[in-house]
Amino acid sequence: MAEPELLLDSNIRLWVVLPIVFITFLVGVIRHYVSILLQSDKKLTLEQVSDSQVLIRSRILRENGKYIPKQSFLMRKFYFNNQEDGFFKKTKRKVVPPSPMTDPSMLTDMMKGNVTNVLPMILIGGWINWTFSGFVTTKVPFPLTLRFKPMLQQGIELLSLDASWVSSASWYFLNVFGLRSMYSLILGQDNGADQSRIMQEQMSGAAMAMPADTNKAFKAEWEALELTDHQWALESVEEELMSKELDLDGMFSTELPTGIF
Amino acid sequence: MASVSELYDVTWEEMRDKLRKWRDENYRNSEQIVDVGEELLNEHASKLGDDIWIIYEQVMIAALDCSRDDLAVSCLQELKRQFPGSHRVKRLAGMRLEALERYEDATKLYDSILQDDPTNTAARKRKMAMLKAQGKSPEAIRDLNEYLEQFVGDQEAWHELSELYINEHDYAKAAFCLEELMMTNPHNHLYCEQYAEVKYTQGGLDNLELSRKYFAQALKLNNRNMRALFGFYMSASHIAASPKVSAKVKKDNVRYAAWAASQINRAYQSIIRKCDRL
Repeated sequence: MAEPELLLDSNIRLWVVLPIVFITFLVGVIRHYVSILLQSDKKLTLEQVSDSQVLIRSRILRENGKYIPKQSFLMRKFYFNNQEDGFFKKTKRKVVPPSPMTDPSMLTDMMKGNVTNVLPMILIGGWINWTFSGFVTTKVPFPLTLRFKPMLQQGIELLSLDASWVSSASWYFLNVFGLRSMYSLILGQDNGADQSRIMQEQMSGAAMAMPADTNKAFKAEWEALELTDHQWALESVEEELMSKELDLDGMFSTELPTGIF
Repeated sequence: MASVSELYDVTWEEMRDKLRKWRDENYRNSEQIVDVGEELLNEHASKLGDDIWIIYEQVMIAALDCSRDDLAVSCLQELKRQFPGSHRVKRLAGMRLEALERYEDATKLYDSILQDDPTNTAARKRKMAMLKAQGKSPEAIRDLNEYLEQFVGDQEAWHELSELYINEHDYAKAAFCLEELMMTNPHNHLYCEQYAEVKYTQGGLDNLELSRKYFAQALKLNNRNMRALFGFYMSASHIAASPKVSAKVKKDNVRYAAWAASQINRAYQSIIRKCDRL
């Protein structure tokens, strides 16, 4: 269905589209700095540090075990995986899932997260909706079905208007997600203004409990280590070495270093 | 006494960049650092900006090496003023006490850091360094073992432990530490070479074979490692000269030794030719 092209007042571009972009961007930057101020130090316990390093060591053993003699590899594998007192068999860490009720620091973290991210979004979204209401802001470049009309055309009561024409509130939300890459450009990776990432984290964080991970990680490592075999990389190293002459260029240099600079 | 900038005709930016290069590459040329750093701090402190704090730290450690307590104290005071209550600065204060051989005071200071933050590795390492400095090797080894039980991934510590074991002539344990290092850094020819040397020192036919293999690996990783080339030659000739080997093994090792000898000759030929030309 051919739609007559609507010509929007260029004032809309000047006084609506650009201000919303600026507002969203500045709010994001402010949120980033506020989150830095409110950040609480994550103190790791000795046990957590130690466990993470043990897992790394076991992984290195699996990957690079072929560079050490067979006897040494077997010795280490035995230490980790032995039936009676191998490290992965024997060590069971106390599993305390950090529910918000029992762990006060988790509670404050969650609250801070909510305050800095969700609250401003709601407030500013509502304010923009109220301020910039009653007119069409922009057109999305792809066609949309009629179901989107009440969502995207909040203040506009036109039944025959194509759903691609959207109001300022939806332009605001578009900005919130679109400016994510701008934030990483300007504020560096891992910034506090990246809302979609935080929402993703919130959704997956509920399913993940850190301490239980250690036990599962140990079990996974144990299985992986059981499967690894030792293929000594140095079986025929002499033959490989002697297959060609050594490259001795630049061994002895006649230039001596002269002082500091 | 002419200043560094006059002697070498360099600007303060070049001096600052030189200090950064030394910092990044972990140089320990303390006298040069003190010369360059002292002038930089006295003349150009205002131009350095935030870099000045890390330069204070670098110059202070170098000053302790050169026994310049005056310079060390002044750097420490500036750092204390800027970062009160910082563990990093406390550790520097402890290092100064160590330099003055006030070991009990230093130990008390490090213990207070560890009480506050049990995962602080710097303080624990300073305590072990003190034991080593006082010559108490067995205690240092014991503490280092405990440390490594908790921080298994600390390569610097593994290397230190291997050195301590070599000094105590406990070659088997030193070899274990070097194996850890070889696993985490498979492309580092120096660890392979050091491991091969330890195996060679242990002696015995199996160890000699292992050492020959690891000398060869070190050579493969870096063709110009002269020490590994000599080690390869020596281990091969040792095995060939041993009465207990089979004829085939003997023949192989004679071949290896001959090849190694020819490579050594080739290496030194080039320098002999160069010297003749000069």
